[in-house]
Order: sequence, then C-alpha cells, then structure tokens
Amino acid sequence: MGKIEWAMWANEQALAAGLIYATGGIVGVAGQFRGWQFAAFGIAAGVFVCLLEYPRSKRGKGTSVERTGQYCFTVCVNAFGPLTRNYYVRAFLHAALCVPGGFMLATVLGCVCLGIASLIYLSAAIHGEHWEPILPRTEPPKRVGDSIKEPPQNPPPRPPPELRRKKADKLETAAYDNPMSVTVNE
Amino acid sequence: MSVALKSWRANEGPKHLITMVWIAANVFLFWKTFMVYFSEAQYYYLHKMLGLGLCISRASASVLNFNCSLVLLPMCRSLLTFLRGSQRVTGRRVRRLLDKSKTFHVACGVTICIFSVVHVSAHLVNMVSFSVRYSEDFPGLNVAQYRGQVTHTDTHMDIFFPGVTGVLLVLVLFLMFTASSYCIRVSSYEIFWYTHNLFIVFYVILMVHVAGGALKYQSNVETHPPGCVQNNLSSWTNHRAAGEKGTESSGAPQTVCQEEARFQPHFPQTWLWVSAPLCLYCAERFYRFIRSSAAPVTIVSVISHPCSVVELRMLKSGFKPHPGQYILLNCPSVSSFENHPFTLTTVSPFVDDWRQYKLKRLYFVWVCRDLQSFYWFADLLCGLHERLWRDNRPDYLNVQLYLSNTQGLQSISEERYRFLSSRLRIGRPKWKLIFQEIGRANQLKRVGVFCCGPKGISKALHTLCNSNPHTETAFEYNKESFS
Repeated sequence: MGKIEWAMWANEQALAAGLIYATGGIVGVAGQFRGWQFAAFGIAAGVFVCLLEYPRSKRGKGTSVERTGQYCFTVCVNAFGPLTRNYYVRAFLHAALCVPGGFMLATVLGCVCLGIASLIYLSAAIHGEHWEPILPRTEPPKRVGDSIKEPPQNPPPRPPPELRRKKADKLETAAYDNPMSVTVNE
Repeated sequence: MSVALKSWRANEGPKHLITMVWIAANVFLFWKTFMVYFSEAQYYYLHKMLGLGLCISRASASVLNFNCSLVLLPMCRSLLTFLRGSQRVTGRRVRRLLDKSKTFHVACGVTICIFSVVHVSAHLVNMVSFSVRYSEDFPGLNVAQYRGQVTHTDTHMDIFFPGVTGVLLVLVLFLMFTASSYCIRVSSYEIFWYTHNLFIVFYVILMVHVAGGALKYQSNVETHPPGCVQNNLSSWTNHRAAGEKGTESSGAPQTVCQEEARFQPHFPQTWLWVSAPLCLYCAERFYRFIRSSAAPVTIVSVISHPCSVVELRMLKSGFKPHPGQYILLNCPSVSSFENHPFTLTTVSPFVDDWRQYKLKRLYFVWVCRDLQSFYWFADLLCGLHERLWRDNRPDYLNVQLYLSNTQGLQSISEERYRFLSSRLRIGRPKWKLIFQEIGRANQLKRVGVFCCGPKGISKALHTLCNSNPHTETAFEYNKESFS
C-alpha cells in the first residue's frame, strides 16, 4: 500500500494526548488530589504539547492538509530549527514529559497516551521522517509573454499581389478582397 | 424563496429531523438517569456520599450505553443494502438517509469520546469522595479501604477493577479515535483499518468493566427508609438524619429502622444495550466473509486505458449486481484484510430499456483534467447516443464534457467520436448557469442531482441545489457515498 507515514499518526496521537493530559491535570488540581503539583505540571505539559503538535508537517508525497489557522504555529515551531524538525528529539521530549504524569491518578491516562505517541514518533524517526513546515508557495506571478509589450514589426501575411488584384468587371460587387476563391455551395 | 425551501426540505429535512431525534434521546437519557441518582430512595446514601459526581458519572454512562449500541448499526452494510434495495420498504427519502449512515456512525463515535471524558472525570471525583466521606455507618457502601486513602497515601492507591478496565477502555478508544481523522485515512488507510478493528477488544473490555459493581443501590428501602433513625448509630448521623427530615417535608414522624441498610450492585445495564447490536454486527461480518469466500471471482479481462486506468471485468457466480451499486474489492496479494469500494461501471446482462424508468431527461456533465480520460467511456456514450437517436429520443441525453486543463489546443479528433468532440468545452463548468438552464427547461419538475467527485464540486453543487430561486424546480442532491 506504499510507505506508511508514521509521523502523521504520531502527530494526531500527541495532540489528543496533550489534551487528555491537560484535562486530567485540571481535574487533579480542582479536586485537590494528593500530588496535585504533578497535575499542575500535567496542565502545563499538556498545553505545551498541544502547541507543539498543532502545526501539521508537510507530507512526503501527496497533498498536505493544514489545520485551521496553523500558519502562525508553523512559523514558531519552524524557528527552533533542528530541535523541532528532528523526530528523535520529539520522541524523547514526549517521553520525558509524560513521566511525571504517572505519579498521580488523574494524569495517568495522559501519561500513557503521550507515551504511546512518543513510541510512534520513535518509529517515525527510525524510518527517516522529519518535520517539514507547510509554507504558502510563493509562485512567480504568471508572466504574460514579453512579446505583448512590443507591437508587431511586420504586417500580417497576405497572399501575393497578383491574387489580390480585384477583377475589373466585378468591381461593384467586390466589397473586399478575397485572397482565396469562394464557392457557392460548401 | 419558497422554491429553495422545497429543495432544502427535500435535501436537508430528514437528516436534520433524525439528528434532532437523536440529540433529544441523548438529552432525555442523561436527564432521566441524573434524576434517578439525584432523588431516588435506593441511591440516597450513595448520593450523600458522592454528591454530583455520582449523578454525572451515571448519566454519562447511560449516554455512553446508548451510543455504544447505536454506533455499530450504521456499519451493518449488508443489512442496509438490503433495506435500500427493497422497494416496498424504502422510498427515496429513506434511501438518501441511508447514504448518510457513515456520518451518523462518526457522530456517535465523537459523542462516545466526549462523554468518556466526562465519565472519567466524574469517576475521578468519585474516588476522592469515596475516600473523604468514607462511611463507618454503612460499610457495605464503601469502595475505599479507609478514610483518606486517596489524598493521604504516598504511593498510588489500589485501583479497583472497574478502574483498570476503564483505563484500558480509554486507551483503546484513544488509539481508535486518533487514527480515524481524514488525513490518516487518506494517507495511510491501513493504520485506520487495523486500529479501528480493535473495536472488538473495546466491547469485550466494556462488558467486563460494568461487572465491577462499585456503585451499589440499597435493596431494602421498605424496611429501612432512607434517613430513618437507627438505634446503634452515632448521634451525629441521627442528628443529621433528623435535620434532613426536617427540611424534606415528608410530614411523617421519624421512623425507626427495622433493619440495617443492605446494599447490592445492580445488574449491568450495558449488557442489555450492547449485546443485540454487537451480535448483529458480528453476524453481518460473518455473513460478508461467507458470501465473499463462497464463490471465487474469475477475472475475465484486464483492459488498460489511458491515464493509468485499468478496467477489470469479473465474473462471480450467484452475484447479481444492479446499476449504481458498488463492490468491495479485496486483493490478497496487496493486503489480506483490506477491502476498498469501487463503483461498478457496467453490469450485464442489464435490460436497459429507458422506458421502464420515470426519467424524462438525463444531463451528463463530465469534467476531466486530461483529454485522454474521455476515451474511457467514449464508445459507451456514442453507442448510447446512437441508440437513442434510433429510438427517436434525441433529447433524452444531454452530454457536456469539460476539460479543465486549458493549456494548448486540444480536441477529440476521431471521426467516430464526433458526437463527443462537438460537446467538448475547454475550461471549468459554470454550475450556476447550468442549473439555471436545467431549471428553465424543467419547470415544476423534480431534478435529481448526482455528484461523483471531489469535495469542492460536491459542496458547490449542494449549495446550488438548496438555493435556486429562479425557477419552480426542486433540485434533490445526492452524492456518491460508500457507506
């Protein structure tokens, strides 16, 4: 079926995992669970992961579908260069971020989901994928041929002068020159 | 404007009606379950212990039950095909609704995800409540092992059985949901297919999840009315019960409990909701498997067409296709488990007597990027035109071909395709003008619009069908859907 693009799946998973992490963190802090500090970290980590993962990467081949309004996120993420383009870095970053979530009940789901996303990113990195920003293509505007600016140097082609000469006996009916003969019934 | 209303009602009405009914059913289930746990006598003590968390978690659970059972039904494709084809049972409106079954499946799936989040959050709050309001008076009701187990413990608390299955359920749901987005389906279909088939794991764990029995109801409400005074209870509890009896205007004097409160877990309702659709779906998959492997498919010919298109002619004994149907092809050498839909372009033998249909006129608009693509069906179209000309119905078929690639001078030069070359236009079609022309020529009639193409064209046609104020014609929109 062709090459699987692991990074695309990892991206969806990481985005969802970030949301789950943040939601679990909110519940943990609001319910004043033991270890609510981990929950607070979970909120921060979840939001960070969502912001990092929101801009989709350009596909290896095929059309890439952007997420709504992702251009500013693309610019920010692209500014970090190899730190964000490399999927090994992302895999280890997600693995590191998910560990504190495992210490608290409310964030344990976010921890596991982010861990799975980290594994898929590792697989993507091993397959040699990397993040490419989707930037609007700056095409050169379609150039009309330069010849349109110069008027023609020569008159349009005409048949030789002897054919153009009007027949004297048919002068009154000849309203124009017929370069070629015209038959009555086509 | 009233005409656009006619088209709109035909196109959108039934769909919106079903959506309203489904939303109303969800709201009703949520509200009813919420009120049961909020005010019924057998949940009195449990509600005192857990508060709102109990009501929200159970109400979301009943919405989840409903949607987990509904989500399977639109995927019973053989059943839906049977319903669709039987002319006595279904009319045009129902057939158009059946086309939307995949959308309904997605709606139920999204609802399951949202309410799972609500359900899990409410149960997390319940765990805190079980721990903080650990009840010495009604030990049978407790799930925590001692007061303060959740907030004061250093290590993670022992997660009881529904907790473990709940975590597993969310994980499976997470895998299924994240692989179902449009991008993944378009780029790597097999990821979607294999993760979505984890649904059977989801349902098995779901059946076990509800058997945990953490939430209990009081089984002896008559002999122990909630809030009654017990002889051996602490004075605090009696005082509290007395205070509440005062606020609840029951009017009766404080009754003495005849016996201790007894609690037992209720029967898992989910089994009732989910079993039937799950069995139906499993039967459907089994039927599909049997039908596909019963008779082998013989490939009669493989014809290569321009623009990398391949025509397959196949024979399968016992298979009688109707025009307009699609088949699911499985090619084991490509992938053993995947099936992909393809609309049939020819069925034979087909009694193509145009008189048997109520169709008065057919407008065929075909847009291609490459001129060579028109050669795929050039013979078919020209042959059809000849036949209609001989049957003295030259105005039955109106063909318009559009070539969206405007580079260079292109034309169909073969003499035998003169019918097509005179109907070839360069550039994209102007749909509004086409609709106006068709509307003017078919006033007071019903025009069915059938679109097979990319989303952009589909949206444009859908909008035009619904907003066509110029003529007394109703445009009914249909699109090719493999649901």
